[in-house]
Amino acid sequence: MASSDIVQYKTPARKAVDILVGVFLTIYLIWTLLTFVMMFVSSFKDLLEAFKLPEIGDWLGVTLFFDFTPTFRHYENLFLDKNFGKYMMNSIISAGGSALISVVLGSMCAYALSRTEFRGKKDLLFWIISTRMAPVVAVMVPLYAIFRNFELVGTLPGLILAYTTFNLPFAIWILKGFFDNVPYSIEEAQMCDGANRFEAFVSILPLVAPGIGAFLILCVLFGWNDFLFASIIGSGGAKTLPVATVELVQPQNIQWGKIMAAGVVTTVPMMFLGLLVRRYLVTGLTMGAVRE
Amino acid sequence: MQTTLTNGIADGQLTNAAKLANVSEDQFRMSNGVRVIDYQPTSRHAAPSNRYYLWLILPAVIVLACITLYPFFWLIWMSFHKVDVLKGDVWNNFANWRRLLGDRSFGNGWLLLLKYSAMCMLMEVGLGVLLAVILNRSKYEKVLVTLFLMPMMMAPVVAGLVWYYLYNSTFGWYHWLMQSAGILGEKSILGDTGTAMWGIVLVDVWQWTPLIILITLAGMKRVPRDQLEASMVDGAGEWRNFFQITLPNLYPFLLIAILLRFMDNFRFIDAILVLTGGGPANSTKILPTYLFDVSFQFFKLGRGAAIALTLLFVTIILGLILVKVFESPAGKVNQEGS
Repeated sequence: MASSDIVQYKTPARKAVDILVGVFLTIYLIWTLLTFVMMFVSSFKDLLEAFKLPEIGDWLGVTLFFDFTPTFRHYENLFLDKNFGKYMMNSIISAGGSALISVVLGSMCAYALSRTEFRGKKDLLFWIISTRMAPVVAVMVPLYAIFRNFELVGTLPGLILAYTTFNLPFAIWILKGFFDNVPYSIEEAQMCDGANRFEAFVSILPLVAPGIGAFLILCVLFGWNDFLFASIIGSGGAKTLPVATVELVQPQNIQWGKIMAAGVVTTVPMMFLGLLVRRYLVTGLTMGAVRE
Repeated sequence: MQTTLTNGIADGQLTNAAKLANVSEDQFRMSNGVRVIDYQPTSRHAAPSNRYYLWLILPAVIVLACITLYPFFWLIWMSFHKVDVLKGDVWNNFANWRRLLGDRSFGNGWLLLLKYSAMCMLMEVGLGVLLAVILNRSKYEKVLVTLFLMPMMMAPVVAGLVWYYLYNSTFGWYHWLMQSAGILGEKSILGDTGTAMWGIVLVDVWQWTPLIILITLAGMKRVPRDQLEASMVDGAGEWRNFFQITLPNLYPFLLIAILLRFMDNFRFIDAILVLTGGGPANSTKILPTYLFDVSFQFFKLGRGAAIALTLLFVTIILGLILVKVFESPAGKVNQEGS
């Protein structure tokens, strides 16, 4: 705000504000990370250790939280007894498959939409974006009925198609914004040099490749993190990680350590992917309305 | 700060683009402008035929129609029938729709959805803008933003589960924390009709405030510097600058943020399902949760379809507003400068 080349003298009031700001940032940082720390640490705790809690009001008792012997039992148990390897594969295939289909079909469609004008184009675009915004619960009622008729319930192809309902419109809409920013004259120049239409299209791909890659990853993230579709459409044969995690919750004898470990397994890959596409996050999460 | 990403094309890519077009980068910038919106082919003989484009558009549109338009019409059909898997659907004379009129859970669901959204939005926008203002002037902006946005990567249902564990009244650390701070008394936050709503709002605030931070930060980079400097020369203080220049420039961004979050509250009930499932005593049964119960707990698919259509209707209206904001001059002007 204030130009940095103006020398500013710090008045006491200013210093007080700075300290307040620092405290506020620290508190917010703790509040953001605390849930992660709790999840990670609890996943290494034995059942009894997970239940230990200091007396109410005993602030020094916080140390009790770190008073445990770490165990990898829960992780072993998940992958050896609870079949989490398979659920992870299901997650990867369904989220990855849907992302791939969406981005391939989506980039073709987006490219064409960006290069042509025709009557009703606006309506078409609005229809596309509105399918993305439709509440999952609302769409699922008929989708479940239809998928049952085609025997797609509980199968990976069914789940891939279900994820495509929100990934494909996302890909089209956001990639159109990308192609809009690539000048047509590049293709024109290529075609003047004798390239055919398809080669001209391929020639601009390097320009949009980083974006396409980033949005592919975002599509994976949306699919991976989905719970509603996976729990209804994928129930049975195509159980994904979030569903398997929730199924660990049983009315009696809740295995918190195991659940937290499952949470870690579900979350960590997405944290890495998210950081990988950090630059494109705002664009992706606002449907291209805001660019960083 | 100059952003490296100019309207979606990084600078390096622009150089590539210039190379491909066989002109110098400056020429390229000049002749094309940096942002080309709705670019129309300029030379007719080079423009591929429409049929070529049609073939590119069709596959996606057909797939999308099959998985969204077809279900949509099916939804309308279902809402007028008593859906029975074994005996087939029977026309039931608007019974599904008439039942909605007297359905208190339905009206209540809408009210709770509005209340829930309002609470989330107030806290998220308040916190988000405050943090964005602070971060915008902070040396550690990059690191802090990266740390802050972590919750967004977590599957909402996992976030719900972890918070459920931490809220637990016998061994949950957040419960202990709140009791030690004297906030809650003896109650458990999710078990009491008065506080359960706060319980689910907090999770949403935890997970989605970062989005508001990101959007606001992106908006703040677009605030014209010359305006700020001019008003400083005229003697305006930082507060005045913020309220009279920065904030008005942020409005389109905040509007987009609020609309998106509002629609997400319609879309995602994952966390609520595991946190409270709509309880206790329906105090958190916001409409999508109610819809989930009607359709997939009681299997009243016809009635569920009618509820789903009301939800879709409102979403489409919100979507129309959102697209208008996307296209509004204010929204565009703010995207242009960088």
